[in-house]
Amino acid sequence: MNASTNIALELRSGSQILIRALERNGVKQIFGYPGGTIMPVYDALVGSGLKHYLCRHEQGAALAADAYGRVTRKAGVCLATSGPGATNLVTGIANAFMDSVPMVVITGQVPTALQGTDAFQEVDIFGITLPIVKHSYSVRDVADIPRIVNEAFAIAEGGRPGPVLIDLPKDISAGMGVVADASPLPRPEIRLPDSRSLQAASEMLANARRPLIIAGGGIAISDSVDDFRRFAARTGIPVTATLKGLGVMSSDDPVFVGLLGMHGNGAANHAVQNCDVLMVVGARFDDRATGQLAQFAPSARIIHLDIDPAEISKLRKADVAIVSELAPALEGIQPEHKARASWCAQCVGWKKEFAWRYDAPGEGIYAPKLLRDLSRARPEGMTITCDVGQHQMWVAQHCKFNDPLEHISSGGLGTMGYGLPAAIGVKIAKPEATVVCVSGDGSIMMNIQELATLKRYAIDVKILLIDNSALGLVRQWQELFFDGNYSEVDLSDNPDFAAVAEAFGIQSRSIDQAEEVTDAIEWLLNTQGAALLHVTIDPMANVWPLVPPGKPNHKMMKSNPAKAR
Amino acid sequence: MQHTLRIQLSSVDGAVIRALGLIERRGYSLKKCSVSESDGTGRNMEVSVTSTRSGDLLKRQLERLHDVYHVELIPAAIVNPHQPGVRPITRRI
Repeated sequence: MNASTNIALELRSGSQILIRALERNGVKQIFGYPGGTIMPVYDALVGSGLKHYLCRHEQGAALAADAYGRVTRKAGVCLATSGPGATNLVTGIANAFMDSVPMVVITGQVPTALQGTDAFQEVDIFGITLPIVKHSYSVRDVADIPRIVNEAFAIAEGGRPGPVLIDLPKDISAGMGVVADASPLPRPEIRLPDSRSLQAASEMLANARRPLIIAGGGIAISDSVDDFRRFAARTGIPVTATLKGLGVMSSDDPVFVGLLGMHGNGAANHAVQNCDVLMVVGARFDDRATGQLAQFAPSARIIHLDIDPAEISKLRKADVAIVSELAPALEGIQPEHKARASWCAQCVGWKKEFAWRYDAPGEGIYAPKLLRDLSRARPEGMTITCDVGQHQMWVAQHCKFNDPLEHISSGGLGTMGYGLPAAIGVKIAKPEATVVCVSGDGSIMMNIQELATLKRYAIDVKILLIDNSALGLVRQWQELFFDGNYSEVDLSDNPDFAAVAEAFGIQSRSIDQAEEVTDAIEWLLNTQGAALLHVTIDPMANVWPLVPPGKPNHKMMKSNPAKAR
Repeated sequence: MQHTLRIQLSSVDGAVIRALGLIERRGYSLKKCSVSESDGTGRNMEVSVTSTRSGDLLKRQLERLHDVYHVELIPAAIVNPHQPGVRPITRRI
């Protein structure tokens, strides 16, 4: 009998068994916040091999775990107590669910005997999270812990990833048992494409006059970026990307026409509306990408590649469906000839016609140019995490990414407050990376407390805070679609963000003139340790172009028509 | 349009509510539902739902649940065998 077996047969607490099960599943770092019912687990954490990061709000812990899961492709783990601790995780769980991120969430729960009695800090987190988890467990027996943890990781990371909840009553985490550890489960077998679908897709592409690819987030999730690039090079088919697909192709690649959708590039939206065969790779026809669905890619037949059968024909009927791991499917699609030169030239023409312009008048700071300059200042290996709003769209439009995992953005849920905790999660997962959180004055306040986490663990995250003294995207919509009736979007009494950062012990600097940008970006990227650059921009700046609600993608607005008159 | 599905699922806590929650959340209106213990393997559930969305899509969405072992979409002819004067096509064979 070897040493590890001896350890496994000792009398241990549920919490000790849990920690060991996490370690056996490869967990090294976890994010959390202690409280009453999770105390036995925190007791067992001391002296274990796990590094715990104390965030300053459970939402911060959940969102950091989400970003950690995105960049490692291994489940990020977060831990919180019952009741408010658990409910504060909910936004992070939903964020991971919507963006298919592997995550294991462990919540304390009141002791089994008190469940259902409205005990102090009792909440049915299992019930609350049912619609936003891939699966969930309520632990009933100490002996079940190794199996449940192993299953949780296999489910979270297998197939289309997602969050898994383990709700752990205090009598179980504190209860004792002689329980053998269990080996982690193998991941599900890779799902391979069937040859008939591959053949059908190959023929459809070979016969296409105007083929186009939508590259989605699934390519990064399944680690198929290289396979995708080989496919694109081999077939010559023009490529557009969803928000989460950005970085799959280099922005400079001639066949890449840009981001599609509501704030997408004109080239991408014209290409998609004019294509006759649309191959959708690891994307799900989200309404922000398609605009008016009935008029989306109106003359295209659809080839849909996805690992999740439930995505096929959910919103747009697939003419060829390939439910498979993406890499072997891309490998197996072999159209007889490359995309027609005339169509490729047309796409390149659109790309030139709709190229971004950075020659904004005035002495103030133009956010798109600021972000382009940021991207240029560190062309290799910078990860940008985003919050949600105008700055998020400007990042998507104007920053260049060499890999989709260099762009960490809350796509499906659109969670304001994601950026800073996400940057923490990324930097902990990839200590060698330059990590920049691009945030807005609305979003940063949603999880501003995590500046304390940066300080405590000396996490080297750079924050570029773009401040327009407003909830800019809502303000823009009120300007355009609600007759300028501005309702609750003014944030002109914002705190002095540079002073706030300093109060947390984070170095800071403020700028508001275009001529200061180059120097300030240099300062931000080259300062040792965490730093915040506060950039004041025009409160009336808008994100262009914009596909108005209910319109097809090619009906883009490029300015406010009321102002043009 | 009405769809009827037979669902075999685990008898663990939350399996039934998870399936029913998915059905309503995904835009299917529950018209009929029965749940019974099956012989040692879990539970059998039969639901009739109406929706503008397809029954096959609901089947695939239910199949994603880890508590769900098997889903069968019952063709309409078998679903309503008791309509007066209408004999299910499949029984003629």
